[in-house]
Amino acid sequence: MNDMRHVERTVRVDTTKITARDVQVFYGDTHAIRNVSVDIPDKTVTAFIGPSGCGKSTFLRCLNRMNDTISVARVEGRIEIDGEDIYDRRVDPVQLRAKVGMVFQKPNPFPKSIYDNVAYGPRIHGLARDRADLDGIVEKALRRAALWAEVKDRLSAAGTGLSGGQQQRLCIARAVATSPEVLLMDEPCSALDPIATDQVENLIHELRENYSVVIVTHSMSQASRVSQKTAYFHLGELVEYGETGQIFTNPQDERTENYITGRIG
Amino acid sequence: MQVSFILLSLAAIGALAFVTARHRAIASVGGDARRLHSLPIYYGLNGSIMALVPALALLVAWMLVQPLFLDGAIRSDLSDSVLPEGSAMGLVVSDVRRVAEGLESGPLAQSFIAGDFADATPEEVGRMLVRGGTALGAPLTRPVLDAAMEYRTTSRTLRWIMGIAVLAVAVIGAAVAIHRSEGSYRARNVVETGMLGLLMVSASIAILTTLGIVMSMLFETANFFSQYPFTRFFFNTTWQPSFSGRGGASELGILPLLWGTLYISLIALIVAVPIGLFSAIYLSEYAGRAFRSVAKPTIEILAGIPTIVYGLFALITVGPLLRDAIASPLGLGNSASSVMTAGLVMGIMLIPFVSSLSDDIINAVPQAMRDGSLGLGATKSETIRMVIVPAALPGIVGAVLLAASRAIGETMIVVLGAGAAARLDLNPFEAMTTVTVKIVSQLTGDTDFNSPETLVAFALGLTLFVITLGLNVLALFIVRKYREQYE
Ligand SMILES: Nc1ncnc2c1ncn2[C@@H]1O[C@H](COP(=O)(O)OP(=O)(O)OP(=O)(O)O)[C@@H](O)[C@H]1O
Ligand SMILES: [Mg+2]
Repeated sequence: MNDMRHVERTVRVDTTKITARDVQVFYGDTHAIRNVSVDIPDKTVTAFIGPSGCGKSTFLRCLNRMNDTISVARVEGRIEIDGEDIYDRRVDPVQLRAKVGMVFQKPNPFPKSIYDNVAYGPRIHGLARDRADLDGIVEKALRRAALWAEVKDRLSAAGTGLSGGQQQRLCIARAVATSPEVLLMDEPCSALDPIATDQVENLIHELRENYSVVIVTHSMSQASRVSQKTAYFHLGELVEYGETGQIFTNPQDERTENYITGRIG
Repeated sequence: MQVSFILLSLAAIGALAFVTARHRAIASVGGDARRLHSLPIYYGLNGSIMALVPALALLVAWMLVQPLFLDGAIRSDLSDSVLPEGSAMGLVVSDVRRVAEGLESGPLAQSFIAGDFADATPEEVGRMLVRGGTALGAPLTRPVLDAAMEYRTTSRTLRWIMGIAVLAVAVIGAAVAIHRSEGSYRARNVVETGMLGLLMVSASIAILTTLGIVMSMLFETANFFSQYPFTRFFFNTTWQPSFSGRGGASELGILPLLWGTLYISLIALIVAVPIGLFSAIYLSEYAGRAFRSVAKPTIEILAGIPTIVYGLFALITVGPLLRDAIASPLGLGNSASSVMTAGLVMGIMLIPFVSSLSDDIINAVPQAMRDGSLGLGATKSETIRMVIVPAALPGIVGAVLLAASRAIGETMIVVLGAGAAARLDLNPFEAMTTVTVKIVSQLTGDTDFNSPETLVAFALGLTLFVITLGLNVLALFIVRKYREQYE
């Protein structure tokens, strides 16, 4: 793939979008995230990497309070977005999630038509003035998720009838259609072929113009292609966090190095 | 030969076939079970199946055919001349059968076999039989007694032949199976086919029973329509049966009853569906675990209350309350029994059906759906309205239709809550009644099973059956359509 993008990586760290301090997550007695502190800058792509079960998804779900829906989950510490504590009593998690969109690890299209899946967010947030406007939003979102060409003739077909990779892109389109300020993507390309992956990566580049993107990925090459910042998680801890180039070429921690060079998986 | 003895022998043969076939299979590979095509138990099962299935099938078939055959024999034995004046052949045939059974197994059996009654008159034998508990349609006559003796001997002989035939089939089957039990024989596949057969037989029993019920209803209904015109039954708007004793023609129009049924069911569903559905949503989406663990069983207790108790509640509490609080002040009537009373109480009865079924269905909607919606910034109620309920809709429709069938079939609450007066009226505070109530009242008391007043019950029952069937088909249709659109 196009590894030349390494070169054009420019890190424009102007402002910090998300600040996490001493975050702990417990699932009942399981301590899933330990003492994670991280500053995620605005208008950048940040990659979370790490072995399976190390807590990447868990931490990602903290950032838009999706852990609230798990009754056994408990989050401690402080997470701020734009300087505002998102776990504060006064913050409405519903509002927060409209601002911080999420693409889940497992594709979860609604049992509705493709169109209705994408139009779901714009509808509940009243983003479209009229039907034509909504059509436009849906088309744009599907185009950005590289799905338009495949589904433009069957927008009223069921979203659940798509293939696994198509469903994954549908969920990306669904998240993008709401125009969130931060987009959390949990392994968005796990079921995609190289072409579709490339298109999604282009989308991520494009989103970076205006949004912060946090992406969880098991593909080292993808992390190095799309992200400016990389965080390596290991057994619930944030082991190393820094410029992607530096993490991949000159990791400070031995665990990071072992993981990146493939010595532990 | 007694059937119980045949069954015991079959069990023994089956067990023996199991042990022998298994043993022979193992022996055929020199004791090394790994070299068998199938596990040893399959050879044993194969032995039992081969021994028992054909034998049992023969037994069942024989027992079904033998009475028919014997009846035919009696009929040809008894010429028309011996028939007592005015009695039907069918009655005489059943008398013959009963006399034969009385002689065979009644208290008389022992002394009869000993020949004590060789020269008693038929009347005496008849009296003794009656004392022994046999019911006779007419005084016993010589031809009937003779026919009964004939019947008895023939049926004994046939029983013997049957026993021998069945056991022979069992032994042959066992022998064949045992003979086949060798290492390369695919006993496992045969047993698999046997399992399939068992499942198919079970399924067809359910289907055949339904068919049987429908057929008997159809038969009686046809009988009814031969005595009462079709159009008057379906289009007459009055229901006024007059039992033959009182004279005068009956008005047997189904419309008032159907109207009552639908009106009461409609009110019941208007009460039960929203309350049931909302309580299901509350319980599954909002309630805490502690509350849920108390509330769910409490609601389900409602389902365990016998409907007669609901009926009493309607009669004593709800009916007078509605009358005094609403109907009388508004000038809508003075009847404590009313459509409203029955509908409300029936609605309460249906709440747990709707709620516990919907609750299960809503819980079955994957958490990922909720996450997807919440992750897009939807509120909980938006998620429920736009994602969860649509996803659960086929199941919810099913639950509602189940409740509707219960409402349509309900009798007790209607009798006690809405009364038994057939009426076509829009006023929900009037007494009305339903199809089921009238089925009961037409069949209870002093009935003659050949008058239209009684037979109408079957026509009513069949109509009800067709309506519920229609509802189910409709439900299926809705669910299909919905599925096509979304999955
Ligand atoms: N709903 C839950 N209830 C209890 N424990 C959970 C739950 N979700 C995750 N965990 C636990 O938290 C830990 C971290 O899980 P998480 O899903 O965050 O891993 P991950 O890094 O995303 O792994 P993967 O790469 O396989 O997706 C795991 O040990 C997991 O067992
Ligand atoms: Mg994960």
